[in-house]
Amino acid sequence: MNIFLRELRANLKSLLIWSVIISLLIVIAAAKFSGFAGDPSMLAMLDSMPPAMLDALNMRAFNLTTLSGFYGLMFIYFGLLGAIAAAMWGSDIISKEERDKTVEFALVLPVSRSRVVTAKALAALVNCIAFVLITWAVSLLAVRPYNPDQAFFNFLALEMRAMFAIELIFLAVGLLLGCAMKQYKRASATAVAIILVTYFLSIISGMQESMDFLKYFTPFKYFDAGELFRSGALNSTYLLLSAAIIVGSVAGAYWTYNRRDLYI
Amino acid sequence: MNANIYRHEFRARLRSVLIWSLALTLLTLFFFAMFPVFADQAALMNEMLAKFPRELLVAFGMENMDLATVLGFYSLIFFFIQLCLAIQASNYGFGLVSIEESELTADFLLSKPVSRTQVLTSKLLAALTSLLLTNVVVWVSTFVAISLFREGRAYDLATLLLLLASLLIFQLFFLSVGLVISLLVKRVRSVTPYALGLAFGAYVLAAFSGVFGDVGLELITPFKHLDATYIVQHGAYDAPLVLLNVAVSLVALAASYWLYIRRDIPAVS
Repeated sequence: MNIFLRELRANLKSLLIWSVIISLLIVIAAAKFSGFAGDPSMLAMLDSMPPAMLDALNMRAFNLTTLSGFYGLMFIYFGLLGAIAAAMWGSDIISKEERDKTVEFALVLPVSRSRVVTAKALAALVNCIAFVLITWAVSLLAVRPYNPDQAFFNFLALEMRAMFAIELIFLAVGLLLGCAMKQYKRASATAVAIILVTYFLSIISGMQESMDFLKYFTPFKYFDAGELFRSGALNSTYLLLSAAIIVGSVAGAYWTYNRRDLYI
Repeated sequence: MNANIYRHEFRARLRSVLIWSLALTLLTLFFFAMFPVFADQAALMNEMLAKFPRELLVAFGMENMDLATVLGFYSLIFFFIQLCLAIQASNYGFGLVSIEESELTADFLLSKPVSRTQVLTSKLLAALTSLLLTNVVVWVSTFVAISLFREGRAYDLATLLLLLASLLIFQLFFLSVGLVISLLVKRVRSVTPYALGLAFGAYVLAAFSGVFGDVGLELITPFKHLDATYIVQHGAYDAPLVLLNVAVSLVALAASYWLYIRRDIPAVS
């Protein structure tokens, strides 16, 4: 409990910074949306386009003149920011003890290593939950001038659940890296590499049909905003896949941290 | 400049430079391998696109992007190369002097008979060399990728050289801005989150203004200062923005020297 509270306090500043960044993004975006909102000529243009082309540009789902379509377009940025934040929190919360030379102190306390990991993971999890809730709340405030309907609230709720799932995946992977990497510097560097690679894969898999199979390797594609909008629910195959990644990573984190040699 | 510090710094970064270079080479080759297929389809798509109103294309940032041409396709990849280089450069910038403090080696370094100016100059030069190395690799892999996959399509060499040359200005911006921020704050605990925040923040802002048309965001983000689509279309830099970019870099560098010479560095207790 003490570790948990301490970690929460230590991460508060980071959470605040990330929240400010995402709030700025939402506020700027909402201001820009006013140029599109309900513009009928825009809608007519979209209607006149051939369906094949809309598919090619993944624009069928995103009718930019409606709030939902607009938020569909925003989702990739939410996912990206959430993923970076979660991966950094996950890897940093474990590896910072070694960086700050406090790991010996933490581990001579009368708690098992598993307890340490649990407390830290829970603190990072609380951060992730808070981050999603803040995104949600700011979104609701920012779109108030446009009188959103119930369908939008449902879609927003769905998007936020998807964002939370992405966060969880990257949090678990970050934790695993923090626990498994022998050198603390490698943990965050590897996390960056994973984020970049998966982000590029998600773009490539969208660009070309033959690369479509790549979508299984990138969490950003597990929760594709266009797909979410069409189906109105999270895809259960991908949810299972995400759960497998999360459980596997967390189990791996406990397993390696209990056995590891500390870098001092 | 002190040769020992330079050598040490350069060696410490060599591994990271190799990994980034490898990643960038793979990225370029892999993306460009899709070009032949894309170019055939894109020729059809461009015909259709030409019929649509300009506002719509602007809204999607596609108005100047001709994916059927070598340079049009390359400017798409270029955006990602820029992102990678931005992360790398801001990583080096943020870590340049702050790592000494977080690893408690600052008082060892600063008790050596070299001035702080010399320390900073040697470190900066070493970081610049590392960035230059990566830059050279990008040049080489770009030319290799283009000659492998262009399938006889012509492109304008001068414009390509302009694009590639802009990378150095771009790297310098993130290096110096990262450095000055790391000196402005009291303590950099971990370099990566800062670096990611700076690079991805600039990237998201740029990608964003591409989607929603322009509202002056190009003034803040270096991705817009050296926008590939602009360079390809005009065959020249957007001079005022590039000057702004260079000016910010130089001011940041000067401020870094000023701050570092006066910095209070906590000793190991």
